[in-house]
This record gives sequence, structure tokens and C-alpha cells, in this order.
Amino acid sequence: MSRLAAPLRHPALRRARLPVLLIAAIGLLAGCGMIPPEPDTTQAKEVFNLYIAVLVMGAIVFAGVEGFILYSIARYRRRDDRLPTQVHGNNTVEVIWTAIPTVIVMILFVLSMITLSSIDARAANPGVTVEVDAFQWQWTFHYLDGDGNPDNDVSITGTPANPPVMGLPVGEPVHLILRSSDVIHAFFVPHFLVKRDVVPVPEGRAPNDLEFTITAAGTYAGQCAEFCGDLHSRMTFSVQAMSRADYDKWYAAVQSGKPPTPSVAPGGTTVKLTAADISFDVKQLTVPAGQPFHIQLTNKDSLPHNVGIYQGDKELFRGDPVNGVGTIIYDVPALPVGDYTFICDYHPLPAMTGTLTVK
Amino acid sequence: MATTALSPTTESYRRSWVLEWLTTVDHKKIGILYIVNSFFFFFAAGILALVVRSELAVPGLQFLDERTYNQAFTMHGTIMIFLFVVPVLSGFSNYIVPLQLGAPDMAFPRINALSFWFLPLGGILIFSGYLFGGAAAEGWTLYTPLSAGTYSKGVGTDLWLVGLLLVGTASILGSINFVATIFKMRAPGMTLFRMPILVWTVLVTQTLILLATPVLAAGMIALFIDRNYGGSFFDPNAGGNPILWQHLFWFFGHPEVYIVILPAMGVVSEILPVFTRRPLFGYRAFVFATVAIGLLSFSVWAHHMFTTGQVYLPFFSFMTALIAVPTGVKFFNWMATLWRGSITFATPMLFALGFLSMFLIGGISGMVLSSPPIDFHLQDTYFVVAHLHYVFFGGSVFGVFAATYYWFPKMFGRRLNEGLGKIHFWLHFIGFNLAFFPMHILGLDGMPRRIADYSPDAGWTMWNLVSTAGAFMIAVSILPFLWNVAATFINGEPVGDDPWEGNTLEWATSSPPPPHNFDRLPPIRSERPVFDLRHRHDAERLAAEEATAHAVVEGGPS
Repeated sequence: MSRLAAPLRHPALRRARLPVLLIAAIGLLAGCGMIPPEPDTTQAKEVFNLYIAVLVMGAIVFAGVEGFILYSIARYRRRDDRLPTQVHGNNTVEVIWTAIPTVIVMILFVLSMITLSSIDARAANPGVTVEVDAFQWQWTFHYLDGDGNPDNDVSITGTPANPPVMGLPVGEPVHLILRSSDVIHAFFVPHFLVKRDVVPVPEGRAPNDLEFTITAAGTYAGQCAEFCGDLHSRMTFSVQAMSRADYDKWYAAVQSGKPPTPSVAPGGTTVKLTAADISFDVKQLTVPAGQPFHIQLTNKDSLPHNVGIYQGDKELFRGDPVNGVGTIIYDVPALPVGDYTFICDYHPLPAMTGTLTVK
Repeated sequence: MATTALSPTTESYRRSWVLEWLTTVDHKKIGILYIVNSFFFFFAAGILALVVRSELAVPGLQFLDERTYNQAFTMHGTIMIFLFVVPVLSGFSNYIVPLQLGAPDMAFPRINALSFWFLPLGGILIFSGYLFGGAAAEGWTLYTPLSAGTYSKGVGTDLWLVGLLLVGTASILGSINFVATIFKMRAPGMTLFRMPILVWTVLVTQTLILLATPVLAAGMIALFIDRNYGGSFFDPNAGGNPILWQHLFWFFGHPEVYIVILPAMGVVSEILPVFTRRPLFGYRAFVFATVAIGLLSFSVWAHHMFTTGQVYLPFFSFMTALIAVPTGVKFFNWMATLWRGSITFATPMLFALGFLSMFLIGGISGMVLSSPPIDFHLQDTYFVVAHLHYVFFGGSVFGVFAATYYWFPKMFGRRLNEGLGKIHFWLHFIGFNLAFFPMHILGLDGMPRRIADYSPDAGWTMWNLVSTAGAFMIAVSILPFLWNVAATFINGEPVGDDPWEGNTLEWATSSPPPPHNFDRLPPIRSERPVFDLRHRHDAERLAAEEATAHAVVEGGPS
């Protein structure tokens, strides 16, 4: 017994006590931050529990190894010129310490596979199915109502300045189909502890999907997690989880609020603008003052583009998007003399910004 | 029969020193060229890291627009990996391996020079994107289809591909040279199991380079064809598969992680025995563990792709976790080497101990990421950034500085100042942890990597600020290092041939060694020939002492 206690009385170790305590305190403090957000889906709760189990195993390994190293370097610092015993190895201990990590690895693997099969399960009848269309650099949430008519489906497209909200019911399995029309994106909601890449797949191949059941009402931030180009950091969105009754109200409101296709008033000036490769062909438009005019936007990209008109930060006009290749004619109300900025709200880059001169 | 003068006069070889360094085929000079060149790129990529960290310090875009930010982190990653960590370790290997083998030079000295000179050329090509409309900005992994012609039109990406192809060619040539040297140039008596552990790690590393780099080269050529000649290897709209690039990239990219960590493990395994005055515990187990890591590294690449939905998760998860076994064996061997040693704390030893602690954290976070359900949350967040920096920086770069302080006296005959070295270590160690530990917390909290900006409402501001402060602390820690190198060149004291009481053959020759490396070699009867030579009279006394020591423990008071 005293042989075990003896090293702790060693003067070198007494000197090392303060730094060791300091390191332990810092480690404890840092360890407290090593927790994911509170999980808010049934699947996330399982991942959370798995993570805590792995964190505890990792912390034990770290404390054991680091403690051993710190103890050794404090206890066995050189004191004289005598050569320490020259031990070249020991087969028994080598076998033991090959077995230790093997056991840890097996435990980790089995726990992971149990959780994986549980969170990958798919419900036969999900409460809501949303097709998530990712594009550079925002999202379209397309609600599949299953009536076979895509024209009356709710579809919400965000812009970097106005990220979209995905309304979802609480307590029902939600199924997401993840489609990309350009590069690889990733759908990520930290509170759901999950992300999945949104991969452009060849025709005929199934896209990735994701399923979860939200457990608590609330608003959850989400964003693209796979680097996708210039405005990757602005590909944010949020999930608004609510009771089924609230969700139905929300859905009806979004559905009825669908803006009608604008009719084009005859006469007036028409200026033309083409969007291709995420840039406008002209950066300078001129229209007469004091009378309404039209902007004809031709989109040659597979992405949504629109035209918004601004004076400083003040929005004066916002056109509906052209989703994919197509043409739209906007009716713009009369503007007083001056210089304005026109910009694609979906791609607020220098290449999609120009000056509108009214004179 | 006419007699020939065997020692040529120095007059007949006199050249200007510039020409000498430009045309040298001496492995030692090439090794120094590698190291100096790598440190230049280290400083360039380090400045880019400061640019990135400055932008992220607080929410909002203060200094850069998104495009410039994306270029900065892309160049930072590319240069650090391909033009600093890999070549600087190749540089040390180049200098040390022939010496440790008792060889006069590498097997193919001219190819050695060629593979070095491709590096600065490749690096300049990669950087030159900045002069031609912007450098590559797709991340160092250059995922398709983002890097395909439709979404990144700039010539910077093509320059990146061409430059990296040159760097890759250099690596392949170098790896053939190392493997040939290790198998064919060993001194008499230097059997495979008497080779220093660094040589073993270099042998496995270079074999990995030889097998993995051609795969990346093929992928880069395919991408170049896609971008410039209408190919469709990676274009989903023309029957290609964008995920194929990830397979090719990571089939190279994961062995690459071991390419940069194994030589650093070798360096640490050279330094620990010298500063504990004990042999490396379990030499053979260590060799087998190194080979096992090398083999396993080819079966884990898709753990970078768990969230793509296109890989078989159980296999890649299991193989990834399995790497913990040989790595664990190595850790136990290092710990047993420290145990009951006689430990001194010179700067190389401090960096080696720093390596142990930091790489330990990187290894544990790697285990966390090997679990697919957890990876679904952490993939592409700052947790991964933290993990890779604990491995690359806390592991490899600590190893690089340990090697620098350890072999500097061999290369230049003078030892770096210990006081400045310790200041460097502590600033570096604290700065490193301030910079990268908070990233674990940010990643767990859901901050994705590679974003130029984040919302002030996200709650990520404080840890980002801490991380930026840490990054600047690392930058400050480089100043005493540079001052140390300069001061040592100007007025460092000569310290003789073997200032650390080393174990391996490089300490049996002069510092710096002559062009032909050795005038005579000590007998090689173990992996520590110089130790054996130094203690040749102690053998019997040691045996006696060991017997007495055991007697004391067995029979002593308890």
C-alpha cells in the first residue's frame, strides 16, 4: 500500500501539484463546452446519447494517457548521470495493450451501428414530405401534397437577404427529399444533430433523403454545410416547428398568399436584361422618369434570378424569380429622376448588380 | 601504371555558392533546400491563416468579400498540406535517412534534385492564380461539380491543378528514391530490424506516397480534361458522377494524413529515447504498428464521405476505428519509454512531448468522428477543422519543430538557443490550444466550416474571438524562432558532433557531415550503434546494476 502512495510524496510531484490542478481545471472547463445543442428530434436524442457515451470514453482515455505522461515526466526527470535500466520491450504487455484499444473500438463500433440503424429507419407514411431544392445560393422548399397536381403545391424560395422558413409539424415523421440543380450542398440543422449532402445526381438515380420527428415547437436555424461557392455562408434558412393545427393554418396562409402571375400593362418603355452564368449582360439601364416601365428578364441559368430595385438599402421594387430558363416581364411603378441600383436578390454579387438611371 | 590522385583538390571544384546550391545533388544540401523552401511556404500560408482568422474574429465582413475569403482558405489549406507539411518532412528525411543508414547519399542523387526543384515551381504556379483573375477558391479538396468549368471559370483552378500535378510528380519520384535508398544503400550490419525507427516510418510513408499519389494525379488530369476539353468524368448531366472525384481525392487524401503523421511519429520516436536515455520500448511492435497503419490507411478513405449517402457506412466506420489499435500500441510504447527514464527537457523534447499530448486529442476526436451518426452532426463543421489541426499542426508541425531543434546542430554544427527555444515552445503550445480547441465547441454548436461570415445571433462570437487571438499568438511565437535561427548563425557556439548524446549513426560523423557523410562507421549491432559505442565499456556494469536494482525492489522495504 505504501508503495503506491510513496511516489505522491515525491518532492517533484509536490512541486507539480499546482500546474496539474491548473491543467485539470482548464480541461474541465473546456470539457463542459464539448456538448452539442439540445437535441430536438427523436433521432437527435439518440445521437446525443451516443455522443455522450463516446465523449465519456474519450475523456477517460485522455485523462489516463495524459495523466500518465505528466506523472512520468514529473517523477522521472534526470537527477544524476546513472543510466536508467535499458528495457527493450515486453511481449506480454504488448499483447495487453493491443487488446485494450481493440475492445474500446469494438464497443464504439457496436454502439454506433445500433444508433445508425435506428436513425436511418423510414416511416411508411410520413406526416409531411418536402422536396428541398438547393441551388447557388439558397433553397426552395417544395411541399408535396400528394394530389398529383404540382401547380397548387406550396413552394417557398429564399434569398440570401430573406432566407426561407420551412414550416413543419411537431410529433410527426417528416420526410425530406434532397435535390440539387447545380453543385453539392448539405442540409444541416444543428439542433436536429444531422446533415445530409444534397448531391446533383444523374437522371434516374435516387436523391438523398432524410427523415426526423421534431419533438418541440420552436424556430431552428439551419444552413448549407458543404462549401458551394461564393455566397456559401449566406445559404441560411430556418425550420419553424409547430403543432399540427398551427401547421395547417400556416400552410393555408402560405398557399393563399401565393402571388398571382402579374399581368403586363400595355405601352410604356421596355428594357431588356439577360442573366447568364450568374451575371447580368448589361450593368446600366436607362428609363424615362415619372412613368411606369417594364423590365424583360431572360434567365439562361438553371438557377432562380430576379430583379430588385433599391435606393441605398431601401427596397423600391422586387420582381418574382424566374426559376430556371425562361423569361418574365416586370411592371415597375414610376420612379422620380435619379440613380438607383438594380440587383438579383438571389445573387447579390457585383456581377449581378447594375445602375438604373431614371431621367 | 600511372598513379591517380585520390583526393581531388578543392580548386578543381570551386564554384560560386549560388551555382553550387542550384546544381547540388548532395542529399544534405537538397534536404536543407527542401526545409528552407517549405518554411517560406509555411509563412505565406500562415499569413493567409491570419487573414482568415481576422475575418472570422467578429460577425460581419470587415476586410474581405466572400470570393477573396474563399481564395484565402483554399490557398491556406493547399499550401500548408502540399507545400509545407509534406515537403518539410521529406526534407528532414532527405537529410537524415542516408546518414542513419550509413549511406553516402540517396540512391538517385540527380532525381533527388529534380524532385526538389519541381516544388517551388509547382508552388509558384498554384499561387500565380492571384495574378490571373483570382486563385482557386473551391477549398483544398476542390470538390466537383463546384470545381468544374461551369461553376468556377477562373484560370486559377487550372493553375492549381497543373501546379499540384508537378508537386505530385515530385512526390512520386522522391518516393521511388527513398524506397530504393532504404532497400539498397544500408551500411554493412544495418539489417532491416536494426534500422532507426525514423527510417521505418519514412519507408512506410514513401510507399504510401508511391501508391496513393498516382490516383490523385489521375483524378486531377480527369478534372483538367473536364474543365478544358469537354470531358464529363464528374458531370452528372452528362452521365458522370461528381462523387467519383471525392473517391479519387480521398483515396489519396486519407493515406496523405498518414504520410504527414508517420514521419513525425518517427521523429518523436527518435527524440524520446535520447532524452529519456532508454531504448524505444517495443521497437518491433512499433514497426509492425507503423506497417499496420500504412495498410489500414487505404481502407478508410470514405469516412470523409459519410454524409454523401453513397458509401457503405459499416465497413468504413469499422476500418477507421480499427486504426486506433496500432495507434494505441504506439502510444503505449511511448509511455513505457518515458516510464522510469532519466528525462531531460531540452527544446526538441518539449516539442516531442507537445506532440504526444496534442496528437492524443486529435486521435480521440478522430475516433468520435468515426461513428457515422455522430459524424452526421459534425461533418463539415468546425469540429472537423479542430480535429485536422490537432493532427496536422499539433501532430506533424510539432514534430517538424522538434526535428528542427534536434537536428539543427547536426546540419550546422551549432545548437539553437535553449532559452529562446523554450519561449517559442510555450507561446506556440498555448497559442495552438487557444486557436484550435474552441473550434471543437463551435463545431459541436453547429458552425459550418468554410463560411466567410456568421450571424451575431448564432452565439459563436466569443469562441471565434478567442480562436483568432490564439492564431496571432502562434504567429508571435514564430518571431523568437526566427530570431533564434538568425542569432545562432551569426554567433552560435560550435557544440561538437554529438551534443544530445544521440543513438543513431548521424551522430557518428562530424557536424555538418562531410560530402561523403562518413570517414568510418562504428559497428552496427543494434538499432542504437552510437549508444552501443558510447557505452561499450558499460555493458557488464549495466547488467550487474540491473540485477542489483531488481534485488532492491524485490527485497526492499515496502
